[in-house]
Amino acid sequence: MENDIMISIRNLHKSFKDTDVLKGIDIDIKRGEVIAIIGPSGCGKSTFLRCINHLEEPTGGEILIDGININDKKTDINKQRQKMMMVFQNFNLFPHMSILENLTIAPIKLKNKTKTEAEEKARELLARVGLTEKINAYPGQLSGGQKQRVAICRALAMEPEAILFDEPTSALDPEMVGEVLDVMKNLAGSGITMICVTHEMGFAREVASRVIFIDEGRIAECGTPAEIFGNPKNRRLKDFLSKVL
Amino acid sequence: MNYINSKSKRITALFLLFLTAGCMLLTISACNTRDSAGKSPIESVNDLADAKVGVQLGTVGDTYVSDQYPNADIEQFNKGADAIQALKQGKVDCVVIDKFPAQAFVSANKDLSILDQEFTNEEYAICVAKENTDLLNDINAALNQLNSNGTIEKIIDNYIGDDTKGSYQYKTPDGTDKSKGTLVMATNAAFEPYEYMDGGKITGIDADIALAISDILGMELEIEDMEFDSIISAVQSGKADFGMAGLTVTEDRLLSINFSDSYTTSTQVIVVRNGNTDDSSFISIEKIKNNFIKDNRWQYIAKGLGTTLVISFFSVIIGVVLGVIFAIIRATCDKTGKLKLLNLLIRIFVTIIRGTPVMIQLLIIYYVIFASSNIDKVPVAIIAFGLNSSAYMTEIVRSGIMSIDNGQFEAGRSLGFSYIQTMRYFILPQAFKNVLPAVGNELIVLIKETSISGYIGIMDMTRAGDYIRSRTYDAFLPLIAVALIYLAIVMILSTLVGKLERRLNKDGK
Repeated sequence: MENDIMISIRNLHKSFKDTDVLKGIDIDIKRGEVIAIIGPSGCGKSTFLRCINHLEEPTGGEILIDGININDKKTDINKQRQKMMMVFQNFNLFPHMSILENLTIAPIKLKNKTKTEAEEKARELLARVGLTEKINAYPGQLSGGQKQRVAICRALAMEPEAILFDEPTSALDPEMVGEVLDVMKNLAGSGITMICVTHEMGFAREVASRVIFIDEGRIAECGTPAEIFGNPKNRRLKDFLSKVL
Repeated sequence: MNYINSKSKRITALFLLFLTAGCMLLTISACNTRDSAGKSPIESVNDLADAKVGVQLGTVGDTYVSDQYPNADIEQFNKGADAIQALKQGKVDCVVIDKFPAQAFVSANKDLSILDQEFTNEEYAICVAKENTDLLNDINAALNQLNSNGTIEKIIDNYIGDDTKGSYQYKTPDGTDKSKGTLVMATNAAFEPYEYMDGGKITGIDADIALAISDILGMELEIEDMEFDSIISAVQSGKADFGMAGLTVTEDRLLSINFSDSYTTSTQVIVVRNGNTDDSSFISIEKIKNNFIKDNRWQYIAKGLGTTLVISFFSVIIGVVLGVIFAIIRATCDKTGKLKLLNLLIRIFVTIIRGTPVMIQLLIIYYVIFASSNIDKVPVAIIAFGLNSSAYMTEIVRSGIMSIDNGQFEAGRSLGFSYIQTMRYFILPQAFKNVLPAVGNELIVLIKETSISGYIGIMDMTRAGDYIRSRTYDAFLPLIAVALIYLAIVMILSTLVGKLERRLNKDGK
């Protein structure tokens, strides 16, 4: 199981009209890995993440999840997506539903959980992130940090094999970044596969098992945090790190 | 707290209602001061030359005055009764109309008289579609028989002439075989004594003769009431088998329709104000009795209200259902570029519906699309108003869907919901909340728009008010009564929409 590859990406290309954003990305991600994706803005890291659960349709190459090509028209993309939840920069909670409903609707409708099961799970998750008392509140009544913690719970409620984080702390006020990162750190030890596009170098260094540096639509360097931060080889990576560290 | 709040709101609403009614009253009485216009400035046929003349649209009086007095200022009304009302109010100087209806009008209005001079003899006949020569022959044979055995004369005498009125009521002879189907007659029941509403059914000379003819032909008679100028097109399109409404044979009409032998003759006369005064108060016990109590006339309005509600209710449902489906298709195309063909079709549909008057759409659906089928009219109106509303609803709901942040779509899809599920659970509920005021507005417009149902002969509430008006020559009470009921319906609806709005807002803070 150690070398169990969950996500396998081959020669991934994505272009919007005339702009090539991804110019051939190859990577294998093992089950349980915590990947941090870093890179200058506009380098294509968010697009890469969004391709993995097909929010963007690649223009070339293939993405295999557990050996299933998700870009194949015959693949039931909705089933595949249930394995990997997405956490967005802007939370995207459902404002017309209470926190409890935000957490239970997907398990009830998509995984045939009973209402009781789903609510029990929701309570347990909210307790883990310290938001038990917000269970009947609406997203509009929460702070940014609280919203993002709820969004992570919403993803976990589906019991996914992987979670994709798309700059989860970028829209937060500085004093709220910590509470979200704490939740993510705790998660990293639980065995779930995590792929995080992030600007939090501290988090990447401390938590990630592997760091990927994307530049101009390609993986420019890939390695352990120690390799990337301690001994960067790529000139652009050195440049980048000198700016952000 | 809540209780006091809702109570005070109700009181405010009631206050507004009465304020509005009061304003209507004041406005109308202000306009009415010039009503005591007094005697008409018309004393003989010669004065017609530059007079303001009221006529009924499409009648012989209409064409005759237009031809003979090109300088006269002619006002065409949909009904004879409307022309008479305009005369009473001084809006026209005289009304040129068939002799016997004129007599009926004059006997009911002591401020009106008929000038002695008559002009143009005319022959009334029954009209039948050009290709339907069999029916025309049958009708002619029946008329011949009724003429020779004196039935027609007896029927006419029963309605006309002081001595003979009420002397003979035609009845279907016992044991008549009625098994050969149904004859549909098109008429305009505001033309006493030929055809008019009495006690909830259409009666009069034409109605009795038509019954006698259908008895001879061994068929059931069904009378369809509609606007006078719709009768010929109804017969042409097969909506009715024949038309009978004091119709005069003219060259123009012969181009599009065939006429039977004449069954009676009439003349056109001039009705004028004679300078006497009629009861001119707006509301009196007498008038209320006459308009609503006598002959159970309130029942017209009650039945009409029912029809209006049925049409409104079902067209709202069609409008909302189609509107939501169309809006989803439109928004899907806008967002993903799929369903292009469907989207194009819906855009064409929306453009056509929003670009043409709803009344024309109603008439086209009834007279063109359902031309040959003898379909019930209420469903036709429901389809027409429902389709009309769906076009507006499509754009309203689409704007609601497009107003929802794309992140909501992505959140739904990334959880594993399908496109349709995402729409249903996340996008539409939020979109509805945003567009609810606009939807409420559209429903209000729709309910009031159903008031044109009368154009295809549906007895809705507006038409019911018209009936009463055509019998009592009183514009004020029936129109105000109908207006107040519409107002009440709309107020109830806005209250409900407002409640729903508050409830949704409480949820989705």
